[in-house]
Amino acid sequence: MPAESFDAIVIGAGHNGLTCAAYLARAGKRVLVLERRPLVGGAAVTEELFPGFKYSVCSYVVSLLRPEIIRDLDLARHGLEILPLESTFTPLPNGDSLLRSADHDETRREIYRHSPQDADAYDRFGRLMYRMALAVKPILSMAPPDPTSMSLKDLRGMLRFGKHFRDLEQEDFFTLYKLMTMSSADFLDEWFETDALKATMSASGIIGTFLGPRSPGTAYVQLHHYMGEIDGVFRAWGFARGGTGAVSDSIARAAEGFGARIRAGASVERVIVKDGRAVGVALENGDTISAGLVISGLDPKRTFLRLLDASDVPADFRRSIERYRMRGSSGKVNLALSELPSFTSRPGMGDHLRGAISISPSQDYLEQAYDDAKYGEFSSRPYMDIVIPSLIDPSMAPPGKHVMSLFVQYAPFELNGGWNDEKREAFGDAVIDAVCEYAPNLRDAILHRQVLTPQDLEDEFGLTGGNIFHGDLSLQQLFFLRPAPGWANYTTPLRGLYQCGSGTHPGGGICGAPGRLAALRVLQDTRW
Amino acid sequence: MVSTRRDAVIVGGGHNALVAATYLARAGLTVSLFEQRDRVGGGVCTEEVFPGFRFDTGAHRIGHLHPAMVADLKLAEYGLQVVPSDPAVFAPQPDGRHLLLWMDPAATIESIRPFSPGDADSWLEFSALVCRLAGFLATLHSAEPPAVPRPERRDVGTLVRLARGLRGLGRDSMTEFLRVLPMSSFELMDEWFKTDALRGTLAAASVRGGIHGPMAGGTAYGLLREVVGNPAGVVRSTLRVRGGIGKLAEVLAAAARAAGVEICTDSAVEHVLTNGGRARGVVLESGEEIAADLVVSGAGPGVTLSRLVDPAVLDPEFLRQLRSVRYRGATAKVHLALGELPDFTCLRGDGPHLRGAISISPSIEYLERAADAAKYGRISEQPYLEAVIPSVADPHMAPPGKHAMSVLVQYAPYHLRDGQWDSARRDLLGDRVIQTLAQYAPNLRNAVEDRQVLSPADLESRWALEEGNIHQGEMTLDQFFFMRPVAGWSRYRTPIDGLYLCGAGTHPGGGVTGLSGFNAARRILRDR
Repeated sequence: MPAESFDAIVIGAGHNGLTCAAYLARAGKRVLVLERRPLVGGAAVTEELFPGFKYSVCSYVVSLLRPEIIRDLDLARHGLEILPLESTFTPLPNGDSLLRSADHDETRREIYRHSPQDADAYDRFGRLMYRMALAVKPILSMAPPDPTSMSLKDLRGMLRFGKHFRDLEQEDFFTLYKLMTMSSADFLDEWFETDALKATMSASGIIGTFLGPRSPGTAYVQLHHYMGEIDGVFRAWGFARGGTGAVSDSIARAAEGFGARIRAGASVERVIVKDGRAVGVALENGDTISAGLVISGLDPKRTFLRLLDASDVPADFRRSIERYRMRGSSGKVNLALSELPSFTSRPGMGDHLRGAISISPSQDYLEQAYDDAKYGEFSSRPYMDIVIPSLIDPSMAPPGKHVMSLFVQYAPFELNGGWNDEKREAFGDAVIDAVCEYAPNLRDAILHRQVLTPQDLEDEFGLTGGNIFHGDLSLQQLFFLRPAPGWANYTTPLRGLYQCGSGTHPGGGICGAPGRLAALRVLQDTRW
Repeated sequence: MVSTRRDAVIVGGGHNALVAATYLARAGLTVSLFEQRDRVGGGVCTEEVFPGFRFDTGAHRIGHLHPAMVADLKLAEYGLQVVPSDPAVFAPQPDGRHLLLWMDPAATIESIRPFSPGDADSWLEFSALVCRLAGFLATLHSAEPPAVPRPERRDVGTLVRLARGLRGLGRDSMTEFLRVLPMSSFELMDEWFKTDALRGTLAAASVRGGIHGPMAGGTAYGLLREVVGNPAGVVRSTLRVRGGIGKLAEVLAAAARAAGVEICTDSAVEHVLTNGGRARGVVLESGEEIAADLVVSGAGPGVTLSRLVDPAVLDPEFLRQLRSVRYRGATAKVHLALGELPDFTCLRGDGPHLRGAISISPSIEYLERAADAAKYGRISEQPYLEAVIPSVADPHMAPPGKHAMSVLVQYAPYHLRDGQWDSARRDLLGDRVIQTLAQYAPNLRNAVEDRQVLSPADLESRWALEEGNIHQGEMTLDQFFFMRPVAGWSRYRTPIDGLYLCGAGTHPGGGVTGLSGFNAARRILRDR
């Protein structure tokens, strides 16, 4: 077949790859997106796993999607509708529970019930975190300057940075510094006394990391998850109608609307390099497609250690990528239910089921879950973030039935003895057992169950190490260090090769910023 | 003692306080120092615990004393002799092998080689890197933290020096410094070495004195701190004071007296006199009042500002911050009177290996498991131990043919989940230490003639160390540099005019280096 030609090929139709393609096509470039799986979306997909039951198979809530992207790509017109996810329900072993909802007064009363002091602190804390998110926000929408570089561009960036921080209130500056360096448990201990409240809040500091809530570095991850909440307050935390796949689909439609071509079921085997320059890709089926540029939305290890010959990658860069940490720590369980779970602490149906259900009764509970993983076992009693999308979006399940999504941590990719079918089911059983301690009827309500281990996440969705963020969100892998020193600006040591996945600044979550910033960088660099 | 007005009163006789007192006196101030115990030196002291058996009951090793200080105070002339033990570290292994870290890198490499030729080959590159990074850390340690986020005019010098120091590392090392600082020592070791023995022995140094395990973020900084001041290529050193560490206290006291400092032992300061937000002097427990415009406290921030000062005179927000300072001591000391030297199965009999630090830290996992206990307020069943036997080099430390062994033990948390530190728990800790040592040197069990166990609670009551933290506050990144001891108050000043801090609770923190006292004195004299 005649070799087609494109300005740019984007490898992987994850939401970042699609976003990047959309921005390039919008600028008039001829773009081709290649996706290995039969459907687009990467880890942001909706699939009908069991007849009538639709799932956001991996990523399940929309939190950090940049508003400028929704605006620029007119995603609403392309069918994106975010349904609010407004509450967090934490059932407790003693039969009590903690429910935080969008209703401020209700939440305040509820926290007051557990601790009057915490009720006051909660408002002050909320305002502080809001200011913190605002303080970091600009950094999310720009390529990070490299403090070690002497280039005018970086120096100018650092000056802008410096000014940005000089303008902060001193108290805010110190808080920001603490968030960058502390553990979420210690940070919250300075504010609150209610164990369940601290545990549930610090849980957002461990998601996607291989750290426990008492490990320094987790406070930043907590902040990372707060950032979604500021654009339009709670609205930014929610479900996409039709599942997270609808986010990817709307971006794909936008891209195609701008003239981009998207080909699913086309697995890229390697990037073709001619005299140090990426000139195209070779598919597994033997086809080769040439292009002026190649942009990879895959994770850094996959891109630089698998799609490229070692000889094409400078040794020191290769070393940086080899030591880049992608320790998967989480799994996913998707259930089809004949009836809703009934929690002993709040029996029956209620608004508490319409939001997030967090199995995080205490800080120790989370730490013990982490201890198992440190030594190569999945948590016998894991932390879980549970949602029931069918309550918000009935189209996800047959009438009267429900889909339940359980994000589970910790499940180490490097399990002692490795993952196999038996271990997968044992893991699934541990998850169900842990939930049934709070909602006993769940066991008999289960019609179908899908268990995804970190190994499955790698095999099925190409997430190396099963790491959902394309690399640990630890300070030494953020900003100008993500994914490698000197290459955090979406470029790579190979001319014509760019990166646009979550392994670049600002990192994971359905955020789109890496795809957008990569596209802007490409447009800046190329004079077509 | 004639009770006339002094220019400066020094609270406490720890080594930092002695250093500060001496510099102030040398500058022409009349200075009196009040120590509650019968001797000065604080945690720097040698005591005859059992007849004929003398132990370094506090610190049993010293850091690199600030060279300028050693010269200014002519400590050598007063008889100070600091001897680097060689080998610095002897690490017996459960599998009957052993690792020795020598002052000569070549010898260290030969000790590593039987474990792993690859690790042996990496040693030079690794040690060169950490020594380079520690070089900048040294600059940071001797610098006074600037005002942030808006530096003052007088900070310019410091900032320029720091910027030059950082840039001076060269781009790669500069990046490494920023990248390594927030890492866990586990991650750092993982990038370089495969041998558990080596990984554990190096990581052990990174967690000494803290409550975190080597898998916690920020611990790599602890390892770099260990390297500060070492000769090129030396990662771990064990510095011994000839005649016992108490000799250092004597020498510092002699230098202080020679400079005109009046040293009063057995005189505890009851509280600091303030008037209109200014320090006016101190009141001793004897009731005696000492008037002075300057009060310099070597005690920790909490002890000084919430026990010696009436909290009512302090701003509530400052008090909140003060209460947020984390101490959480998890280090205990066990002193063993031995009838004979321990006979290690992996390296029999007497020899140079008994002259340095003996480190029981066979792997990172071993250390991490020991730290897990502390998270839940329990004493490690298999603790991390660092033992020294000063009597090998200084026979006068023990009766002829007998020996005095000092053991630093982690983790023994100050806050026990069930109850308080009592004699039963001290015995439990003592037993575990002996059992653990006996696994490597079986004869030890019967060689113990007597033993003393100092729990974190004992360290607190003896040396006024809050929560038994040997560094007067955790040495984590969030309590480092401009954050130590309290954000915004890192320049040895306090909200009370004329009241200064000069202890390990201030920048650069713990370890016997005299830097806090040195920096504080410099600040005080500038302020006059």
